[in-house]
Amino acid sequence: MTRVSPTPALARLRGDFPPVGRARVLVHRGTCGNAVGAEAVAAALRASMPGAAIAEGACDGACWAAPSATVQREAHSHRFARLDRGIPDELAACLAGQCDDEYAGRGEYGLLERVGRNDGSFGDVIGRGAYGAAAMAATLRPEQVIEAVAASGLTGRGGAHFATAQKWRLAAQHTGQKYLVVNAEEGEPGVFKDRHLIEGDPHRLIDGILVACRAAGVDTVFVYVNGQARNARAAFERALEDARAQGILDGAAFGGDPVTVEVRSGAGGYVCGDESVILNSIEGQRPVPRYKPPFATDEGLWGRPTVVNNVETLCAVSTVFDSPPPPTKLIPLSGAVSRPGLYEVPIDGNTTWTGVLATAGSAPGLVPGILLGGPSGRFVTPEEYEVPLTMRGLGAGGAVVLPRDADIAEVTRSLAAYNMRESCGECTPCREGTQRLVQLLEDVPANRERIAALIETLTEASLCQLGGMAGRPVASALESFPEAFEE
Amino acid sequence: MATRGGTIGLVMHSPWSPDASDAQARMGEALAAVSRLPRERTQLLPGFLAAQEALGWLPRAAVEHVSEHTRVPVAEVYAIATGYSELRLTPPEPGAWYVCTGVACDMAGAGALLEATPDRTRAIDCQFLCALAPVVHDDAERLYGRVTAEDLQARLAEAAS
Repeated sequence: MTRVSPTPALARLRGDFPPVGRARVLVHRGTCGNAVGAEAVAAALRASMPGAAIAEGACDGACWAAPSATVQREAHSHRFARLDRGIPDELAACLAGQCDDEYAGRGEYGLLERVGRNDGSFGDVIGRGAYGAAAMAATLRPEQVIEAVAASGLTGRGGAHFATAQKWRLAAQHTGQKYLVVNAEEGEPGVFKDRHLIEGDPHRLIDGILVACRAAGVDTVFVYVNGQARNARAAFERALEDARAQGILDGAAFGGDPVTVEVRSGAGGYVCGDESVILNSIEGQRPVPRYKPPFATDEGLWGRPTVVNNVETLCAVSTVFDSPPPPTKLIPLSGAVSRPGLYEVPIDGNTTWTGVLATAGSAPGLVPGILLGGPSGRFVTPEEYEVPLTMRGLGAGGAVVLPRDADIAEVTRSLAAYNMRESCGECTPCREGTQRLVQLLEDVPANRERIAALIETLTEASLCQLGGMAGRPVASALESFPEAFEE
Repeated sequence: MATRGGTIGLVMHSPWSPDASDAQARMGEALAAVSRLPRERTQLLPGFLAAQEALGWLPRAAVEHVSEHTRVPVAEVYAIATGYSELRLTPPEPGAWYVCTGVACDMAGAGALLEATPDRTRAIDCQFLCALAPVVHDDAERLYGRVTAEDLQARLAEAAS
């Protein structure tokens, strides 16, 4: 793998921020760490190691390890897990240079590379690859940027898997006012990747945003962040301020056209998975889907061409000029494993669920199924554990590993009930159908014919994919675990 | 099944409970926060969120102020507000804690947490901290992960004292 070479402009900027070099302890104080006592751990570390360099950063995706801290030295890093159980002597020894060379973490190369490995400051990320893509894109014509993205084969990581270059091309052919909307709403139960990406490395998202703007000819960006992801919003706004101060947004640092970025918070709604709902929300309309066509790339915000990209997609854009770009996918993994957290796995034809389960501290024999994709998803069964993972097959990637004694019927009912509550009520098939589906799932044994007919209506007639996919986990459960729905 | 409405019968400390002058000051703050936004329809949701941030919920006066400020009819503004599950059109229950009942938390024992603290907790939808299931949050939306029934009872007792 070769990273994109810094342009002269980026090299100059990086020269202003020499690496610190000093060994330090980075306490992971992201949303997850804070929920399990990272604040107390940071205080205990400061008290027990006076004079030591102790910094704070976001989580590194190893939720199972939280609260944790990583000793970072020039040569390698070493994460110390579950510090709520006490701070081991090895941590101070490691800081002093005595620890084994094993790095217990992930993110060696890919989107998680800097996540949870920096203290949130601009200086801490600019020397480690940040803005390589934006600086490169500024030296290229928009068509060349689109070609590079097309060559990388990048597709949308929000679940729909649409070719990113194609989306940009559709918008690029229009002239006049155009918008980029960054979908950071991430409202699918079981999915927590975009939050980690933004909290842990917001500059990577800005890097991708600038490339997208260059390619599609956009100068105005709205970043729509999930209302509960407050730390992610705060981290992004800080990063935006730093980028602005360094002349990265106005074209002063790398060249290129100025871009304005506005951050908006959502207020709940799985239905925001449909991009047109976010457009309505930003405009101040009811948060319901629009009829399509027209598609957003033709008529989006205020009727103008609009590109809507997911956070992980834009973060992946920051790697398209590397050769080759890392073919990785983020998998937020929870449920019955001993190491739940955010995993980045190569989609190279060799990765299987068996491997993922082993990494997360489980084994195929212990797992009757994996719920992939939450309330719009399906159940992956043991027969598929050896099948290589694909980008398309993974969707948004949220995986909940079922325990051996899982009550499949209850899980299925709870997913159906979630879709019912989240239905926005705009179209009849979804508004009425999701309720009826919940009612039908109360019957034992399940009336398969009526359920199948209802799912067909939901799938074919719903206005957006909330209704369109609402029957998916139900159909999947009935097929893969028929005994769960018998008497 | 997770729901958001309803009542529970207890009164404890809450950031939103109040004496009258305090409530008035907070309302003033909320209305001022809305007034600072540009007078455009696109500021409807930012307006709701600014008011809710200051008040903990959206009383009628706040919704009406958002309507006046953005020049969008109040009936329409209400219709929009009801479309967002995180906008609260009824006051929060003082001292109530919330147990996440997303898929991962459900499987990790959210039901047992609710059963162990029947009068004090309510079910709530996914909080997206699935790897730390089960998850609860307090009345100021502070999140706690890997919660056991004993932890939760202890924290509730501490919050009430």
